[in-house]
Amino acid sequence: MSKRKRWISLLLATSLVMTLTGCGGEKKEEKSDEIITLRILENDTAKQEGYLDELLSSFNEAYKDKGIQAVDANMEEYSDLATNGPYGYGPDVIYQANDKLMTYAEDKHILPLTIEDFDCYEYIPEEAWDAFRIQIDGETYCCGIPVNIQEPMLFYREDRMPENWETEWDDDQNGVADFFENWNDLYAYSKYLRDTDTSPNKDSQYGFMSSFNDLYLNGQFLFSYGAYVFAENEDGTLDAQDIGMSAGNAAAGLCGLRQMAALMNEGCIDDTIKMNRYEKIANGTYFCTVSTPDTYSLFIEKLVLAYEGEGMNEAEAAEKATENLKMIELPSLMPADGDLSKDSAEMSEDDWVSTIVMGGVNGYGISSYTEHREACMEFVNFATSYEMIQKRMDMLGIAPTRSDVAEASGGVTDMIFQSLENGNIYLMPSIKAVDQIWVPTHTLLGDIAKDPFREAVGETPKYSSGQDIQTALEKVDKDIYDAIYTLK
Amino acid sequence: MKKKKFWNSSRIDSLFTHIVLIAVCSVFAFPVLWLVMASFSKSGSIYDIEGFFPDTLSLASYKNLFLDTAMYDYPNWLKNTLFVAVFSSLIGTVLVILTAYTISRFEFKSRKLLMKSTLVLSMFPSFMGMTAVYLIMVNFNLINQLWSLILIYVAGAPMGYLVQKGYFDTISSTIYEAARVDGATNFKVFTKITLPLSKPIIVYTALTQFAWPWSDFILPNMLLKNKNLWTVAVGLTHLDETQFTRFAAGSVFIAVPIVVLYFALSKFLVAGVSDGAVKG
Repeated sequence: MSKRKRWISLLLATSLVMTLTGCGGEKKEEKSDEIITLRILENDTAKQEGYLDELLSSFNEAYKDKGIQAVDANMEEYSDLATNGPYGYGPDVIYQANDKLMTYAEDKHILPLTIEDFDCYEYIPEEAWDAFRIQIDGETYCCGIPVNIQEPMLFYREDRMPENWETEWDDDQNGVADFFENWNDLYAYSKYLRDTDTSPNKDSQYGFMSSFNDLYLNGQFLFSYGAYVFAENEDGTLDAQDIGMSAGNAAAGLCGLRQMAALMNEGCIDDTIKMNRYEKIANGTYFCTVSTPDTYSLFIEKLVLAYEGEGMNEAEAAEKATENLKMIELPSLMPADGDLSKDSAEMSEDDWVSTIVMGGVNGYGISSYTEHREACMEFVNFATSYEMIQKRMDMLGIAPTRSDVAEASGGVTDMIFQSLENGNIYLMPSIKAVDQIWVPTHTLLGDIAKDPFREAVGETPKYSSGQDIQTALEKVDKDIYDAIYTLK
Repeated sequence: MKKKKFWNSSRIDSLFTHIVLIAVCSVFAFPVLWLVMASFSKSGSIYDIEGFFPDTLSLASYKNLFLDTAMYDYPNWLKNTLFVAVFSSLIGTVLVILTAYTISRFEFKSRKLLMKSTLVLSMFPSFMGMTAVYLIMVNFNLINQLWSLILIYVAGAPMGYLVQKGYFDTISSTIYEAARVDGATNFKVFTKITLPLSKPIIVYTALTQFAWPWSDFILPNMLLKNKNLWTVAVGLTHLDETQFTRFAAGSVFIAVPIVVLYFALSKFLVAGVSDGAVKG
């Protein structure tokens, strides 16, 4: 009996030992005195378009004699440094938007940097540096190196412009269609397209289309009218207790959003348009849509596919798509009273406000958990050099924060740069509390966008006046405040 | 001679049963059919599919799945999934069978207590202890290791020994007594008598031990940070929003091995489940 027990015990023990042996830790990379390996976490677009390979190979070539090499961290682009970093699984250098990086900075997951040591320092405007500044115990630290500016852009197909736009849709005869200059004309043209849609389900042509539940893409309906996220203290720091989504004339802006939603379909209530915009621009269903510059290649990809479907070969389709797809800034004027239905020809200069969009600055941060701080700084310095930023712009279509690169390229890139300098981009606040603004705001924006569709399903519209919207905005402020402070 | 009625009660019953079965099958089969058709869509996006099914069919998604691996390395995910599932299945099956056999055949102190404890513990959802599991894995340097997944799967496997125990309970004790009389040791009884009689339950156990890691998402998503180590379930959830047909193709393809296995071994599977269910 005892022999049998021994056998069974032995078998069990063997299986356990085999399993545990197999689970032994991965062979740690030998620490060498000669080679320092940096793990770089870039965004997926940079990887997809081949820029990351280009960056890594250029850096490795330049630093092969200095014993530093950079490799792709090969992690999910939004993987959480706060979760992985402390345990040693995070990247050494991370590329993220300012709000994300500064959330890490607040919790000390990324290092403060002496920005004057970087070659790009003097070429980057203060507004971009400010996005990475943080105040701790009265001292200001900068925790990121700005690379590019992100703002919502308008995408459209040039061949979908109305044939008569120069005579009918360019009142000031400045060679730019009015619907790309002000929101009232964009509304008017969208309405024209909807009114002339003769398809059986009336769903074959739309004008401007956007997922209105997204604050980042639709911030102009709030920030152009005096709203703000967090108030700024005298010393330039942000006061997360003073939330201002309802400030100024924000309710009027959202009345405009409600008007515009009525010309869309129910896809504007949620993320539907955000997901189908590439195909719908390619097949001509949407005249124009809003998206960020880093999605340019996705629009091109779908347009190429559409042209291939029409019988073109790959090269022809790619060439035609590149020629035809246009990316411009959103119309720069919004009606001061929020009424998009007014005829722009009858409006005076005082009837307009400048469009202020929500934007962000993407940049590099260095993980606090890196063992090679100096080498990381070398890498970031290299990655933000003129040549690499130029290459990044050429390959990814980004708008650089480096003034010298922006100036040299001109066009849209320079326009975005100028918008940042002129204050037409409201940068995402660089404090941790910003995490709490999205859900309440998205919920309200989606709900307002739903309003025009309520009657059709037998519901009563909820936002029939500006006061209703103002009340809802004040509740959003309170919800954000509660989300930030309830658990503190 | 009296002519038989065509619509007798048995035919009506059969017709009704078939209609209900077809209706129920359609409810389950339609989403699968839709996904299969979507995987053959040419465009790559769900939004190009007008109506239920795509207009233009193509193998592009399957081609991309295996050849366009710069961003989404499906073949590698498949290899990782297969590795984890096969080893979890092999080791897990051994442990489950041994546990079930021991509980079924041997009387020992605290046996009842052990059975009750495992029954109670198995009622807790596995994700309940995920944070603790993560911290343990971090401390043992087992993050980013495929073997760490296997360890967790096989460590938890013996908890589900009840069906197997039920099966072993059905094997008549007289066979064992006869073997004992002939001088067989416990090991011999297990290997020469029990195992040959237990093919259905072994196959059933191996299949269930294979199926869980094959499709699990929570654990690999938590433990595997490196994209090269992702399993198919983790990889597919990280596909870009514009890659729907690639997602569909990946989902269809991942289902193929498990479907083939189930069909090939269905004879054993049914016997294993039904015999094991005689006594719980």
